[in-house]
Amino acid sequence: MARAHRAAVLGTIAIIAYMLTLFNVLSVPLVDAKIAEQILPVFPWWLLVSFGSYCLWSIGMGLATLRECPEAYNELLVEITAAKNDLRAKGVTVD
Amino acid sequence: MNPFASPTSLTMQGTHRSLDTHKYSVILPTYNERANLPVIVWLLARTFTEQELDWEVVVVDDASPDGTQEVARQLAGVYGEDKILLRPRAGKLGLGTAYIHGLNFVTGDFVIIMDADFSHHPKFIPQFIRLQKAHNLDIVTGTRYRATSKPATVDALPGGVHGWDFKRKLVSRGANFLADTVLNPGVSDLTGSFRLPVLRHIITETVSKGYVFQMEMMVRARALGYTVGEVPITFVDRIFGDSKLGASEVVGYAKGIWTLFVSV
Repeated sequence: MARAHRAAVLGTIAIIAYMLTLFNVLSVPLVDAKIAEQILPVFPWWLLVSFGSYCLWSIGMGLATLRECPEAYNELLVEITAAKNDLRAKGVTVD
Repeated sequence: MNPFASPTSLTMQGTHRSLDTHKYSVILPTYNERANLPVIVWLLARTFTEQELDWEVVVVDDASPDGTQEVARQLAGVYGEDKILLRPRAGKLGLGTAYIHGLNFVTGDFVIIMDADFSHHPKFIPQFIRLQKAHNLDIVTGTRYRATSKPATVDALPGGVHGWDFKRKLVSRGANFLADTVLNPGVSDLTGSFRLPVLRHIITETVSKGYVFQMEMMVRARALGYTVGEVPITFVDRIFGDSKLGASEVVGYAKGIWTLFVSV
């Protein structure tokens, strides 16, 4: 089963469960009915906003923790000159 | 293959101190890499000789107009025809098919795929090999985003990048986040290719071309149940030459993610 199919099945189940609780066919366990009435209509929007914040946080964290490596760059430059000199001596065309 | 029956182990008496009887093949796809190729081969040769490993490099050149193949032939003259194998192709056919083409000529039992510019430095190859042996991993990949390896080892230094402006960093992080959320591949870096797989299975399974190939390889490997490890690498952005990442690649990337999402 591909990811898309799995996601579609889970999504359908979630939507059906949500619709059933929204139209009072099923009741939400552990939560008072009055409170559930107020929360359920806005629940999808809350999910959307939470996902958006998670995306922003994740990418922001990623940007903040992406390390710079100047030491690797310097080391590499030294190695490049060494390689070029060595190979030029052996007869390979290096620019 | 039986490591005790490999050509290396049968002929190594008195030539290698190493207990490593495996042969490591590096597939280098090249297009207009005339300036980079000699240096990268020099670095690879130095790393493998220092570690006393048997090695070969398969150069898959897509009919470069700048004379890359000529340089490859000269390098074969310096290092040996059995070490530098030039296997050119008729035209610019893309990264994924270049790896598949190179696999036909590989005589080693481990394959390393990497870029021919200096963004993937061969100095990490010994760490890759050690990690693979320690945990018998099917694939080891490099990550620019982690500071420790996964599974953990003591000798891993933190990964990093150099030469990226903010936009590039944002694009890279965004792309990986998208792939991570949609595909959940289990590795932290999907777009930097530098792998050490032992199996031809995955590469022949992957159907994409171009940069999506690397991502697809990881996702399919995970779906097929192969074990994957990660080593932090430092990635120094291209010093010579132009990168081949453009707007059409971005669209291709998004399409690739969608295709993987619905097919794997």
